Amino acid sequence: MFQTTGGYFRERLAEVGGLNEYLTEFLTLAFSKPYGASLVIALLLGGASILFHAFIRACGVRVSILFAMLPLFLCWIYPLESIAPLVAVVFSLLLAFAYTLIGNDKVRYAIGCLFVAGSYVAAAPAHLLVGMLMAVYELCAKQGKIRWVAAATGIAWSLLLPLVAMRTLYIIPMREAFLSKHLYHPEYPVPASFWYVWFSFPVLVLLLHGMRNREFIRTGFLRRLIPYACLLAGIVGGVWHGKNPMEQAYRYDFYARQGEWKRIVEHARTHPVQDKDALIYLNLALSHTGRLSSDLMRFTQFGEEGLIPHDPKSRMGLIEASEVAWQVGQVNAAQRFAFVGVLSSQRCVQPRLMKRLVETYLVTGEYRAAAKYIKILESTPPYREWAMTQKALLDSVVCAKTDWVVAKRAMLPVTDNPFDLTLTFPNALAYLIDDHADNREAFDYGMAYLLLYKDLMPFMHYMEMKRDRKESFPVLYQEAICLFYAAVRKDPEAFRSYAVSQEVQDRFLQFMKAASNMPPAVLKERFGDTYYYYAQFAPTPKQRK
Amino acid sequence: MENAKKRKIVRYAVTAYLVAQVLALLLYYIISRPEKVTSISVERTEQPPVFPDYRSVTIPYNIAPLNFRLDIPADACYAKVEGNGGGALECYGTNQIRFTPKEWTRLLAENKGKSISVTVSTRTNGEWTRWAPFHMAVSERAIDSHLVYRLIEPGYEKWHIVGIYQRDLESFDERPIVRNDMTGYNCVNCHSFCMNDPSRMMFHMRAENGGTYVIQDGKIEKLNTKTDGTISNMTYPYWHPSGNFITTSVNDIRQFFHSVKEKKMEVFDLESDVIVYDVRHKEILSKASLITKDAFETFPSFSPDGKWLYFCSAPARQMPADYDKVRYNLCRVAFDPEKGEIRFPVDTLVRADSLSYTFPRISPDGRFLMYTETAYGQFPIWHTDAEIRMLDLENRAQVDMSALNSPDTESYHSWSSNSDWVVFSTRRDNGLYTLPYICLIGKDGKPTRPFLLPQADPDTYDYQLYSYNIPEFAKGAVEVSPYAIQEAARKNKPAQVRFK
Repeated sequence: MFQTTGGYFRERLAEVGGLNEYLTEFLTLAFSKPYGASLVIALLLGGASILFHAFIRACGVRVSILFAMLPLFLCWIYPLESIAPLVAVVFSLLLAFAYTLIGNDKVRYAIGCLFVAGSYVAAAPAHLLVGMLMAVYELCAKQGKIRWVAAATGIAWSLLLPLVAMRTLYIIPMREAFLSKHLYHPEYPVPASFWYVWFSFPVLVLLLHGMRNREFIRTGFLRRLIPYACLLAGIVGGVWHGKNPMEQAYRYDFYARQGEWKRIVEHARTHPVQDKDALIYLNLALSHTGRLSSDLMRFTQFGEEGLIPHDPKSRMGLIEASEVAWQVGQVNAAQRFAFVGVLSSQRCVQPRLMKRLVETYLVTGEYRAAAKYIKILESTPPYREWAMTQKALLDSVVCAKTDWVVAKRAMLPVTDNPFDLTLTFPNALAYLIDDHADNREAFDYGMAYLLLYKDLMPFMHYMEMKRDRKESFPVLYQEAICLFYAAVRKDPEAFRSYAVSQEVQDRFLQFMKAASNMPPAVLKERFGDTYYYYAQFAPTPKQRK
Repeated sequence: MENAKKRKIVRYAVTAYLVAQVLALLLYYIISRPEKVTSISVERTEQPPVFPDYRSVTIPYNIAPLNFRLDIPADACYAKVEGNGGGALECYGTNQIRFTPKEWTRLLAENKGKSISVTVSTRTNGEWTRWAPFHMAVSERAIDSHLVYRLIEPGYEKWHIVGIYQRDLESFDERPIVRNDMTGYNCVNCHSFCMNDPSRMMFHMRAENGGTYVIQDGKIEKLNTKTDGTISNMTYPYWHPSGNFITTSVNDIRQFFHSVKEKKMEVFDLESDVIVYDVRHKEILSKASLITKDAFETFPSFSPDGKWLYFCSAPARQMPADYDKVRYNLCRVAFDPEKGEIRFPVDTLVRADSLSYTFPRISPDGRFLMYTETAYGQFPIWHTDAEIRMLDLENRAQVDMSALNSPDTESYHSWSSNSDWVVFSTRRDNGLYTLPYICLIGKDGKPTRPFLLPQADPDTYDYQLYSYNIPEFAKGAVEVSPYAIQEAARKNKPAQVRFK
């Protein structure tokens, strides 16, 4: 989370590779703008290609810039968690190229040592790449025995430096000393892609240098055409086949962040949900748009895991849990998940969850805690404006008159209970519904759970309450009521006490007639969006004990 | 383009850059030079709002500069600190006053036992306003040179980076003793020193590299403290003044989260006992332990003479159903360090009739018993009603602690080695993060107005996302390297403690 404060800058500077992280976070600010991410990534890739091409030429190899792009394809093949490795690569290539411009050998060696040290402090593990490229340059572009010494010294210095730093400047674990904690999450193993990307640059230069005098294609036209054709084919192939399994979930996560719930539903209509993360967002979007009780069965459901993540630990899981808890009115739980999400975030602190913390503390009236997070968000450019507008709510009187706060406070739990939404979803919801029968979001989630598990007895208990309060029944509930009185308790008198529309009844009767003799595909096409079809043909999700 | 030409261009570019850099630095120096206070346009009769609130506090003469921030809009500010015993220092800033450490140290040394006054002037729209001065009393009683605490994200069940750090109180230097990113992101907790001695320390690691680590004169022992005779590993520790024993509780700890907005979370024990561990023989002494089924015993501590074992005790109840009905008495029982035995009867010092008492800590001179009072339970960190109380052990009279307490949570506390200073954690600033406040305890036991641990940057606490947990004074720096602890954690096999 980029902050504009001097303290934050100093904190980053005090870390191995902290400047690279600072720059990464700064550049990432552009990601919130349309095409911002594309532009930044294109600039970094372009910059890296140009610098690497210049470096290759300095090593005495004349090749097309397309060869300089080859290592960067690895960033596509192995998607990066952030642009931090890319920034470090650009930084390394810049220093490596600058190194080649220094003519005097002794001066170059001295400055090379400084470059390695500087790149270590600023952008580790850039120093490893800088060291390797310096060695490659010495080997390729220079003559005499001294070049071997220079190359070996460059690599040795880059490997030794972290050990020296551990004993002098920093108290950090070995891995962090070599690779910094910013490029990859320190709690997970370093991905193999890191080594591929880092070694691809020097290896490619050595290969090209080894083949510099060979001519594989003699025709000038073909020599120009073939690389471009290969590049085009690679890009087309990558776009065509390169599917990120998390793409849909990330897309919905992005929409959710913008509050564009309708777009999630619209997208899911044409793109069936692929995983539970996407389904949680879809169901949340249905709840936000008031369609959970009508459209639930229009989309494939997986069970409870599609309503809220179980005991979430990942960043996205905690965001989802916080969103669902917030939606159903369990403000304490929303706050807790946001809190854990803020601190367990893979890239330091998440402003988005911090925003949720502000909201929850305002609802619970803990204004001092809200003020603390507002102050932090004020120093984060994309959230500055939002944070400044929230400052007015730190006045309890203003806060108590603010619509969304009033709405949330009206649904705050009254009865204490120890149930965790992500561990015992139905029990926690039952308390919320008991406290506020008008908590529609909690009620719909509760009914969705019961219907998904085909647990019609408790479902009907709630329907009786709804009937007694003379509330209307959404189509989904009407369908479940039809099924209950047709299959579980045949009591026409009781059935008539529910306001089930004639249209729903007729359709249910049609289904009953057709269910046994209609081809499955046709049946699914005609009745696939109904609850009784789900109850009859979809397997009940495995219930957690 | 030829290489020679390229090099020439680069040379020019680098030279131009360096010249520009030097010019920019010169310009910055000229612009950022503080504007002297010329004439005062407005005189205010009230004191300026400052954070941390250092107005009317009592500070030790060897404390680091009490830098502060002005919580009023101002283009510039100026502070003049004058000592009653002589000496003065000046400081300029925008909205922060950061004193030069050398000048500050000199001023305090000149004013031991006296007071200093701070006069703040602020400039708004070109006009200077002078605020009424505020005062700080400078105690001639020194404070221990180091404060050791754990930094942890507050409160909830998961953690990311946890570390035990030592802060030099005479400067702003903070160093890790151990940090969990060096030991597999496990939990590191419950550090304790023998009579504030930095060379005798212990703490626990949970999960990966789990064990109790006892450090004595640079040697690190890793222990497995779960035995057949005890319900868990050692938990909340306290050293015997001889250094030969450590008393700890063993607890089956649980927690849950409230759904109502008035409460956050609850930590309670399903069962708990108090034991005494013999450091020399690696044994838990059953004859010195309080292991009962009909009572929960926890948070033990020794008296400074080593002859009494203090602890909290509550009648066992059905948990978690009765979590809010468990109330702990403060008790003590005689301890014979020669035989390693306790001698009954148990003496109840503070009876839990309607409230619960926890964290008993006796001043090193043996005069006062400080503890925390809360409505129920023994883990009051999330109880806003929690207050610190103190008993004068000479006459068993309560000491008025209202100067120390606040409407928010006050919980853990510990004494300095000379019994003059107390550090305690409190949520008084934002209700969420516990911060360490330091307070002088007079000869009569009366506390002075506490002050927040000073930082070089007064904004530090605003942006920090960690709570200060278990602040403990130490008479010097802990010299054991974090790498040595890391190596012991990774390579040493834990020695099994016996139950005797």
